[in-house]
Amino acid sequence: MFSRLASDAEMEKRRADEFEPGPASPLKPVDRFGFVKQDQNNSLEAKNRPTNEVEREERRIRKWRKMIGVGGSDWKHYVRRKPHVVRRRIRKGIPDCLRGLVWQLISGSRGLLLMNPGVYEQLVIYETSASELDIIRDISRTFPSHVFFQQRHGPGQRSLYNVLKAYSVYDRDVGYVQGMGFLAGLLLLYMSEEDAFWLLVALLKGAVHAPMEGLYQVGLPLVQQYLFQFEQLVKEHLPKLGQHFSEEMINPSMYASGSDISVTKRFMTPGPPFVWHVLGTGVKIVFQVGLALLTVCQNNLLKLAFEKLIHALRNFPEEALDPEKLLPLAFSIKVFVTYSISF
Amino acid sequence: MASAVENKVKNAKLVLLGDVGTGKSSIVLRFVKGQFVEFQESTIGAAFFSQTLAVNDETVKFEIWDTAGQERYHSLAPMYYRGAAAAIIVYDVTNAATFTRAKKWVQELQAQGNINTVMALAGNKADLVEARQVTAEEAQAYAQENGLFFMETSAKTAINVNDVFYEIAKRFLQAQAQQQQNTNGMILTDRAANRTTSSSSCCS
Repeated sequence: MFSRLASDAEMEKRRADEFEPGPASPLKPVDRFGFVKQDQNNSLEAKNRPTNEVEREERRIRKWRKMIGVGGSDWKHYVRRKPHVVRRRIRKGIPDCLRGLVWQLISGSRGLLLMNPGVYEQLVIYETSASELDIIRDISRTFPSHVFFQQRHGPGQRSLYNVLKAYSVYDRDVGYVQGMGFLAGLLLLYMSEEDAFWLLVALLKGAVHAPMEGLYQVGLPLVQQYLFQFEQLVKEHLPKLGQHFSEEMINPSMYASGSDISVTKRFMTPGPPFVWHVLGTGVKIVFQVGLALLTVCQNNLLKLAFEKLIHALRNFPEEALDPEKLLPLAFSIKVFVTYSISF
Repeated sequence: MASAVENKVKNAKLVLLGDVGTGKSSIVLRFVKGQFVEFQESTIGAAFFSQTLAVNDETVKFEIWDTAGQERYHSLAPMYYRGAAAAIIVYDVTNAATFTRAKKWVQELQAQGNINTVMALAGNKADLVEARQVTAEEAQAYAQENGLFFMETSAKTAINVNDVFYEIAKRFLQAQAQQQQNTNGMILTDRAANRTTSSSSCCS
């Protein structure tokens, strides 16, 4: 139903058309992550990166390659021998070209893949899912501004469909939930379909770390829990801001819900993505980054009333999102999540 | 500091509810930015927008919560519709199931929401004449029975989109005036309140 051709009426809306996916716009400039640039001057990271930065990146990649070994063969050994080095390097960010592999190693999904040969193929080809139509309906609405997912029935959309369908069969209780597409889509930018599928399984079912399927289960228990916990943490760590929020009747559901996605999307652009941090240290890092962001922007936020406040909380300034500054601050915040939710 | 003009701006919290892919976000995008995108990114959680609208000499500022449509996100909905002054319940005229879902939303709001909430039923995608599954008459009858006002809209062609918001703003201001009247214990004849406007207008 989304395949209707553009009508004359919308043709005149040329700005809207700039976001129009499809073969009509193959030459739109994209950022380094493959998103079509939304005109404007969001080009903080664009431009040409200075050569010293490029060299630094190359040095880091060499170190990482050594640490991982061929196809990940040295990873376990290295982690056991020098856990602090691994930790430090991860905090600095995994080089873009190695993220796919490293995520698989950390999450334990590599192990799942090797233990279950042929299972993914079985799920994709031979099983049917009750969610097939729901998935199809959402496919063109997942990262519509990304080059890989723009083309109707193109390789990006096909892979996305396969992974989501396979998961909805693999876990019929959870099935398909809107939002999974963005997570699966992010993974597909870094790895093959089958790898992405098993990483999704590892994340949601908890191969090594605590399962996150509660983000998508009926009632969204984990979302509710995180929102509650974060509200408590703000009150505790930033009492002034917490007070201001309650006076303005702001709660995390207004700025942080669906944050698994919006944060993922945001953090994809500025450096070390969030998914991996969740893999490495649990949800704590999400709270820490959230608190760090609020800390950085606190003075400004305290001045704002309801509407502007929500807007500010949903659109943090580019400077505040600079991972080089934000992450050290985030790691320095001591978070003990002991609050339990009481309904 | 606030000038006389600013005093007249009334804030109204408005929530959009409805099934997946009915065009909630597209309606908001059309109203707030005058744009339409064929492939609107699915809404996860909820999105927030604001837009002001002038009605006669008063101004209404809508604080709009655009919610996720999938049933799984239902448990988050109360956070957004709680205390809302207005709600637009959206269905897709080309998909009968979404009309059924819209009725469920109406029931839920009636059961839990504020009785003063101005409710609108919007049959979106009215431009897709050939694929229609829900007639305007059927929806109109339902709306009348349940005290909602009804319009068929098209976020794509912009038909009736602004009108829905304008009608809500009008009714919201009327209700406010009424409330003020009641609390003041004074009888003020209000031209707007006397006019029983025929609330529906459908596109052909």
